[in-house]
Amino acid sequence: MVWAQTRPMLKKLLLSLALLSCIAAEGEERARLLAAKRVHNLYLVEGRDIVVQYSLHNVGQAAAINVQLTDAGFSAEDFDIAGGQLQVKFDRIAPNANVSHTVVVKPKNFGYFNFTAAEVSYQPSEDSAEIQIGYTSEPGEGGIIAFRDYDKKFSPHVFDWLIFALLMIPALLVPFMMWFNIKSKYTITSRSKRKAD
Amino acid sequence: MTNKAKLTKEEELLLQDFSRNVSKKSLIIFHFNALIVSAIPIWLYWRIHMMEPLSSAVIFIVVTAVATYLVAMAYMNTKFVLKHKVAQKVEEAVSREVMKKLKDDKNMSKKEKDERILWKKNEVAESEATTFSLFYNNALFLMLVVVGSFMVFKSWAPTSNYVCSTLGAAGIIALFSTSSQ
Repeated sequence: MVWAQTRPMLKKLLLSLALLSCIAAEGEERARLLAAKRVHNLYLVEGRDIVVQYSLHNVGQAAAINVQLTDAGFSAEDFDIAGGQLQVKFDRIAPNANVSHTVVVKPKNFGYFNFTAAEVSYQPSEDSAEIQIGYTSEPGEGGIIAFRDYDKKFSPHVFDWLIFALLMIPALLVPFMMWFNIKSKYTITSRSKRKAD
Repeated sequence: MTNKAKLTKEEELLLQDFSRNVSKKSLIIFHFNALIVSAIPIWLYWRIHMMEPLSSAVIFIVVTAVATYLVAMAYMNTKFVLKHKVAQKVEEAVSREVMKKLKDDKNMSKKEKDERILWKKNEVAESEATTFSLFYNNALFLMLVVVGSFMVFKSWAPTSNYVCSTLGAAGIIALFSTSSQ
């Protein structure tokens, strides 16, 4: 259940780098984008926010133009978008510049979900009409925990214990007070009588 | 049959005082209280152990019914044992109180005054024993349920945890109540 995808993610990142490098022609000033998709949550929980961050880093010599980042991995059937957009456009990313984009999604169901790569398309240089397409790293499969299981494990249940304490009042406090009243009444009587004697 | 017919009011009162039988009113109070206390664990299991109330309704009803019977039995036994101890303790205080009230009543015979004292003593002992029995058994039951549920049967599935904790607690207090000490 614990999110532990760091190593595969790095592999995918390197793979993306290699692919993008191969595609780029040598000797020409071109933009080369490295793209990573990361899921920041330690626990993926049904109905709770999942923070997904996309990082784009231009390692080429030219600026990347009309960079379009599209993530088709979060379908409306399985996820609600709590914040951000799954399709975003950056006009240009300068050489050696970083850009990051964050989306917050809420899974509607629990179970295993495969977090796939997002697509990045851009023009490798200002003069180029060619559209370069690449993919981000792929976080891979993650287990989404049912909310009731997560709540059972991590919630302090303060409210529930408070109600339990309130329920105990008629069961404990009322008979105790009644008993105490009767007892103190007769104890005091006998003491005071003894004093009077 | 003939002997029974000859029993005086005082003897009847004494018999009632020493019998295990409880009045209809007490029976209703005990069972009503037992029902409430036996139903309290349902809250814990529904909200904290996440048992579905609808799908577990049959288990909840059966266990609550059995626990109600056992807790009510514990109330009655504890009350019976306590009543005599309490009666001895309050005897002096009660008789002084009654005598003080009847001090000016010169017409009342000594026998009648004794009857009044006996009746008052019985009443005080009954209510003190009843309220203490309710408090003591409720506290013990709820403590045992919480200990059973969150410590002893912690790793068990919620349903078996509920059945064992609740019936175990009710069984233990019923067993303790049979002790005459």
